Amino acid sequence: MAVLNAPAVRRRRAMRRVPPVLLLFVLVPVVVEGFWVFWPALQGFYLSLTNWDGVSAPSFVGLGNYAEMLSDDIFGTAALNTVIWIVLFGGISAAGGLGLALLLNRERRGVGFYRAALFTPVVFSLVATSLIWQVIYQPDGVVNKLLAAVGLGSWQHSWLADPQTALYAVLIPALWRQLGYVMVLYLAGLKGIDPALYEAAKLDGATSVQQFRHITWPQLRSVNSVVLSVIIIDSLRSFDVVWSMTKGGPYHSSELLSTYMYATAFQSLRLGYASALAVVIFVLAFGVIVTYLVRAFREDQ
Amino acid sequence: MTSAAGLSRRHFLRNTGLAGLGVLGSSSFLAACATSVSSGPVKQAAGAVTVQSNLSSPQAKVAIEALAKAFGDKGGAQATVNTVASETFRTQLPSYLTAANPPDSYTWYPGSLLSGYARKGLLLDVGDVWQTMGNYSQAFRTLSGDGAGHQVFVPTTYYWWGFFYRKSNFAKWGVQPPKSWSEFLTLCETLKGKGIAPIGLGAGGTTPWTASAWFDYLNIRINGAPFHRQLLAGQQRFDDPKVKRIFDPWRQALPYFDPNGTALAFQDATTVLLQGRTGMVLTGTFFADAAPKDALDDLDFFQFPILDPSVPTAEEGPTDGFFASARTPHVAEVKEWFKYVATAESQELYIKNSSGTVLPANPAAKDSGTPLVQKGRKMLADAKELTQFFNRDSSDALQPTADAALIRFIQKPNELDSILADWQTAAQKVWLS
Amino acid sequence: MTTTKPAATVPVVRPAPARRSRRRQARTFGFHLTAGGLAVLWLLPIALVLTTSVRSFSDIASNGLGALPGSFDLGSFGEAWGVGGGGHAMLNSLVVTIPTVLLSLLLAAAAAFALSRYRIPFRRTIILVMLSGNLLPPQILLVPVAKLSELLGIYDTLTALVIVQVGFGLGFYTFVLQGFMRSIPDELQQAAVIDGAGPVQIFWRIILPMTRPALAALGALAFTWTFNDLLWSITVLRTETVMPVTPALLGLQGQYVSNWNVIAAGSVIAAVPTVLVFLRFQKHFISGLAIGAIK
Repeated sequence: MAVLNAPAVRRRRAMRRVPPVLLLFVLVPVVVEGFWVFWPALQGFYLSLTNWDGVSAPSFVGLGNYAEMLSDDIFGTAALNTVIWIVLFGGISAAGGLGLALLLNRERRGVGFYRAALFTPVVFSLVATSLIWQVIYQPDGVVNKLLAAVGLGSWQHSWLADPQTALYAVLIPALWRQLGYVMVLYLAGLKGIDPALYEAAKLDGATSVQQFRHITWPQLRSVNSVVLSVIIIDSLRSFDVVWSMTKGGPYHSSELLSTYMYATAFQSLRLGYASALAVVIFVLAFGVIVTYLVRAFREDQ
Repeated sequence: MTSAAGLSRRHFLRNTGLAGLGVLGSSSFLAACATSVSSGPVKQAAGAVTVQSNLSSPQAKVAIEALAKAFGDKGGAQATVNTVASETFRTQLPSYLTAANPPDSYTWYPGSLLSGYARKGLLLDVGDVWQTMGNYSQAFRTLSGDGAGHQVFVPTTYYWWGFFYRKSNFAKWGVQPPKSWSEFLTLCETLKGKGIAPIGLGAGGTTPWTASAWFDYLNIRINGAPFHRQLLAGQQRFDDPKVKRIFDPWRQALPYFDPNGTALAFQDATTVLLQGRTGMVLTGTFFADAAPKDALDDLDFFQFPILDPSVPTAEEGPTDGFFASARTPHVAEVKEWFKYVATAESQELYIKNSSGTVLPANPAAKDSGTPLVQKGRKMLADAKELTQFFNRDSSDALQPTADAALIRFIQKPNELDSILADWQTAAQKVWLS
Repeated sequence: MTTTKPAATVPVVRPAPARRSRRRQARTFGFHLTAGGLAVLWLLPIALVLTTSVRSFSDIASNGLGALPGSFDLGSFGEAWGVGGGGHAMLNSLVVTIPTVLLSLLLAAAAAFALSRYRIPFRRTIILVMLSGNLLPPQILLVPVAKLSELLGIYDTLTALVIVQVGFGLGFYTFVLQGFMRSIPDELQQAAVIDGAGPVQIFWRIILPMTRPALAALGALAFTWTFNDLLWSITVLRTETVMPVTPALLGLQGQYVSNWNVIAAGSVIAAVPTVLVFLRFQKHFISGLAIGAIK
């Protein structure tokens, strides 16, 4: 860390003057995003205070939609499932993605193929993905056949149809899609680490575990905040895989806040309540990420 | 008439402005938006009628495109078909209809959603098209109305539901289609004894709605079609003892359901039926699209058994057709297109190009003539009442509440009381909003 | 897994040459076993898609999707490309994706540069606010965005799709890039300032090249996201002829019955450009253009 401190001090001095062209650098993206994201988002916030069927004029109901959540059992299930989802999906994809990146970081024969193989699910169309995983989970599908083959026939299951297992069964294809992409972020991060740091450590006789703890991990800090944000964003928005495989069923057992919001908006046509659910999702995500980032920024200074 | 239409149109414009902006801006901003909406770009002003279609399966798509081509070849107006995935179509329909420049005509079905849009002034009154349509049955006429005396829909085809099975399989197993509920249960017992899952379902994955066919049929057989319609319209309760009663015969049949019924999606359930691993499936004729061509002649069906002879026989006869946006700039062309699709000639053309298991709505039109279709047509003609299907008679919004309740019943029949109570709560939220 | 990599490069003690090479061989074998096993596991579902794509519809309909293939038929590819509108949709996708990726990365990089290398007032708040735009579930923005594009008269055009996607991607891309740019040491920028370079030159000549690994990684991801997008396409487009690949693929699904072989074939075709882009881009973010190499 000491290596980086000196330039940081100098940088702070350099940044005092802000050339006007830089304001343009910031302003243009902010305005574009503001117009296409924040302006519609404000409308969404307003809609969360109304009842709206998507066609007639919305009618203002104040905080009624938020009050309704308190007594909504499905909301409770969806919120709990979302927490489970963040922990499992988030935890496994972060740890697994880092593991894969470390494994496939060094250039050697075949590594490009392995990376591409792990990344392929990210590029595959969702329609095909969900189709194939449904086939895998079918009563006479690959999973059950494998279980029978290794003598665990009694474990056979209708994985997606059983409310006990549906959520976890959907989690696996979601991870299958996500891991390659977290790996790519970590690979980019690992490439940014100065090899000289490892050289120095080697001269000091540091073991690989020590190198990871004292060099790799601290150096990955900025990537970690990216990955954390990605994971929170994706786990709260995880929608497409779940929706295309179970639609949140059977009877809401794999319902996430995001699928519940979508069903409320586009099936039940209750766009007001759906907007309120969206606001809850937003507040959750924002809360987690800002807490982390503000701390990270502070440590930086 | 014209002034009323103009009024509703203006009213509607203001609504769109409000909706789109979420009523954030000042009134002048709203006014500005409303004007800019009404003077929005009219891209397809060139004269072709746009037909927004959800008929996305390859065969149906070919059929409707052939229809549009034949219409254009007549030399009058032209029609261009715009196919989007049916799921996309369903979610986007409110956006399409409230757009400044909506597509002209749409594939859809009659039911509560349609009359809801009609009440909001979004649909074109096609009463004068109906005047040219000859002797369409009163049932279709009623179905195509908005409930306030306007015709807003043109039916083109309909189909039927029943217990479908493979003739060769029934012959192999030495069984006959049943004529009563007790014969039905005996048949199930026989099949089960042979190691076959008697009743396939296909309510797994993303097609839980197939389970609603059982609910519909039991309800119209026991409580009758009028009660069924009232229930689905929110005038009766799902926790009513009359509703609870229909689950008794369902419980009798439940041991004969394919244990994988809630795990296999509809299309896979079809395969399993064709392979003879299940005996029969309560389904609509569209399932024939999932069968290989060489199996088509081997398919047959029987009517859902009568449970109470005193209840007038009703059948599910879902109808498909077209409606148009009230704001289409091509009123004359749209009506020309509608007159065309209502003709016997066009419906015969459509049936020839599609899988051929649907029935033409025009009484003068010939169906595909196969024994299966003849039998289905007769069953519907003999019925005293026709219902559409759960989501059509109620709404797409209510369908998920039915899915949750019915799948849970199939998996956990002992929880019936709490299932019905939860269903009523969920349904109430939909009706109140 | 974590121990294999650095250890392989670092023989701490120096054993006799023969022992060393044997150990290295064992490590290489272990690496390929682990990575290869994972790759097989990952590619298995994709192999299933490929198998499905070469089966005939009647084979699937009579034997089921999970059965071993009983037919070989490449007709589904032709059908997906021609009848399914695959060729046209692919062109639309590229017309949308390429400008979207270039434009959003450029704008995001500019913002990230200013926010990470200069003392812009409230820079952290700006970053957080920009990021927060991506925390909203996009589904809830759909209706307002559709109305907005209608008001601007660009509804149902590819332009609308590009602009919407740029707007929606910016927050996240800026956040990622500023993270990387912050960790670039200051010496080169200092030297350039002394040489009289303005901020635009510093951005273009120094910072941007040094962010190449991050830009390449992000570019590959952005390409994938934009190319595979469904939600925004169906929101701002409604005409079949302007639909990109993903909604077109969805359109191959019938209301009740789908030809899974054609859908599988279409998915394989649609995956080709993104896989190519990934393979091309990974050279950049792997090429060892590390920050330290310049120091």
